[in-house]
Amino acid sequence: MKLSRRTATVAAIAGTASLALVLSGCSTDGGNGGNGDEKITLTITTFGTMGIDVNYEKYMEENPNIVIEATNLENGGAARDDAYAKIAAGTGLSDVVAIEEGWLSTIAEVSTAFVDLRDYGIEDNKSDWLDWKYAQGTDADGRVFGAGLDIGPQGLCFRGDLFEAAGLPGDREGFAEAIGGEDATWESFFEFGQQYTAASGKPFYHNPSFFWNSFVNQQEEGYYKKDGETLNIKDNAALKGQMDLIVANANIGAGLPGWGVADQAKNDEFAVYVCPSWMLGVVSGYYDAGTTGTGWDFADVLPGGAANWGGAFLGVSESSEHKEEAAKLALWLAAPEQQAAAFEAAGPFPSTLAGQDLVKDSVSEFFNDAPVGEIFSNRAQGVIAQVKGPEDSNIQDNVFGPVFDKVGQGEITTGDAAWAAAMELLDQLVKQ
Amino acid sequence: MSAVTAGRRTGTQLTFRQKLSNFDYKFSPYLYVAPFFILFALLGAFPIIYTVNVSLYDWDLLKGQGDFIGFENYLTTLQDPFFWNAFGNTISIFLLSAVPQLVMATIIAAVLDQAIRASTFWRMSVLLPYIAAPVAVAVIFTQVFNQFGGPITGLTELMGLEPIRWGYDPFPAHIAIATMVNWRWTGYNALILLAAMQAIPRDMYESAALDGAGRIRRFWSITIPMIRPTMIFVIITATIGGLQIFTEPKLFDGQSNGGANRQFQTIVLYLYEMAFPRRDFGRAAATAWILFLIIVLIGLINYAISRTIASQDISRVRTPKRAALTANGVRR
Repeated sequence: MKLSRRTATVAAIAGTASLALVLSGCSTDGGNGGNGDEKITLTITTFGTMGIDVNYEKYMEENPNIVIEATNLENGGAARDDAYAKIAAGTGLSDVVAIEEGWLSTIAEVSTAFVDLRDYGIEDNKSDWLDWKYAQGTDADGRVFGAGLDIGPQGLCFRGDLFEAAGLPGDREGFAEAIGGEDATWESFFEFGQQYTAASGKPFYHNPSFFWNSFVNQQEEGYYKKDGETLNIKDNAALKGQMDLIVANANIGAGLPGWGVADQAKNDEFAVYVCPSWMLGVVSGYYDAGTTGTGWDFADVLPGGAANWGGAFLGVSESSEHKEEAAKLALWLAAPEQQAAAFEAAGPFPSTLAGQDLVKDSVSEFFNDAPVGEIFSNRAQGVIAQVKGPEDSNIQDNVFGPVFDKVGQGEITTGDAAWAAAMELLDQLVKQ
Repeated sequence: MSAVTAGRRTGTQLTFRQKLSNFDYKFSPYLYVAPFFILFALLGAFPIIYTVNVSLYDWDLLKGQGDFIGFENYLTTLQDPFFWNAFGNTISIFLLSAVPQLVMATIIAAVLDQAIRASTFWRMSVLLPYIAAPVAVAVIFTQVFNQFGGPITGLTELMGLEPIRWGYDPFPAHIAIATMVNWRWTGYNALILLAAMQAIPRDMYESAALDGAGRIRRFWSITIPMIRPTMIFVIITATIGGLQIFTEPKLFDGQSNGGANRQFQTIVLYLYEMAFPRRDFGRAAATAWILFLIIVLIGLINYAISRTIASQDISRVRTPKRAALTANGVRR
């Protein structure tokens, strides 16, 4: 068929246009960006109160060609679902993604979704990090897919004013001594709680699951054996013993949900909180910025010995268009000075030794001028890096979470019943 | 056109222009509607069919496609007590929302159908809740129904009653969630029903009134049967929406996938939990298809019920009237 002149023109235009599209597509893909004055936008997704947002401004000032677009999700669960969905889709991940310790091992199984930070020089500063923190961000093939950010050594947040009103020691040292100091056990801790509730008529704690999580994290091996594959829950006498103890002391609990209890905190409905470093920001976040004198204090003690709860990593997604710049940003954010700045802002404790050194004299006005830097470095002593398995966060949320909810609401009243309920859920939810 | 037909009769060949015009006449309409169908095929049909494919495999969200396992995902889902828990919750929330919602919507529509002052104002007012984003609605109602110090809990305490555990006990939680749904959708349905009522010829009411039918009688014998097709539409859409409920229960506590003990986990939330936190994409896809079949089934049941109820009324009113008219004609 002979084309009319007009059709030919249209075809020519269409051809040129599509060629132009192809060419321009290539040019945006190809370059690494960074050279010259070209503006580069880097996206970053974080969650909860990580405090790293305080560093963005500084980075943009030092690197005028970089614009940071930050998204902060409400909690780790939301961040997990978000990251999973985007990894599955193969697209959509931010350039820099915060990964939580609880689901780190699941990410490790698909770690190729993230770049190997060794290609961007993380090994040069390997000795900055605590050994175990660095190892956690490394997969089975030795690829480093996550740069350690904060760790979660735990102390106890408590209401000194309420303890004193109940005739109990309310200062940091006094409270720590009262529950046994360095030798504090969960038994002595709950004994103190019973005294408090008996004297004040008020609940001692808000939700028992926090004591459970702390205890699990204190063990050599948690929900999984060291191989990270074999479950370590059934016939685990230590876990069962803690379950019995918690249920036996359910009478001093307020039966509140695990999170979102700001109003109850202000109404004195509970007096103690297990506080991993990142929890300091959560508790002070219940009040307006700058509030002090609320009665909250922070003690250098944890029943049963040291434990790490949570902590985050920064990964750079393989789908990022600016891997080099993103890796540079991630490593900068995870460097000691920035970890220290984040700690000052929101409390997550540095995972680098130099970072910990920078904050050792840090004092928290909100927590009655507690020397939080010093306390956390004490609390970080003797922490073991527990191996987490792929279903760790599922077990925590869906196996033991519901059971402690029932314990808190008085629906389950014996340790045996609680254990049986948990084992039933475990069978239903986790392939064994 | 006559030239074309004349040409054909004499057996001469059509010119190119004529062929083109013929082609244009025959196929252009299909091209005009094609964009919708192409979009539908891409965004509607493809995902549906792809879901079938996924549901037949052991499919990890992150690691991707695994072994072909046939209908095993369907069987394990149907044997999972959590699925049936979600099914029960969904039906409970659906009944608690759809039934009062449609009853209220019909009553509101009937009231708005009367000659009232500033009718546009009232009609717009009932639509207001629909404009609010469901997420915002969920956040507000979650506060209202907060079992720890929410306003309703405060009221029950003032009255000296035991506080209701809205976030913990299944039935109160279902009521709270259904309230959010009702608040949002009642006005929307009322306006659709109102539109149908406006189309009913006014003289039907007048003649019924002359025959001595009261307000209530006119409502039952004229309004309800006459809005039957719209009623069926509203019921079917409410069924689809009600069984797919997700946002309200997801945000009701904001942390879990429908309550720590799955007190208000609906089927879509179950699907979500399967797909994302538990990463079993195959079972999530199977759940989606099971939900599809449930909706079709309940939709058909609703259709059948609403048809019979409404058609009985119609025959009761209309048949005698027609008979009377014919009788008159014969008499004359």
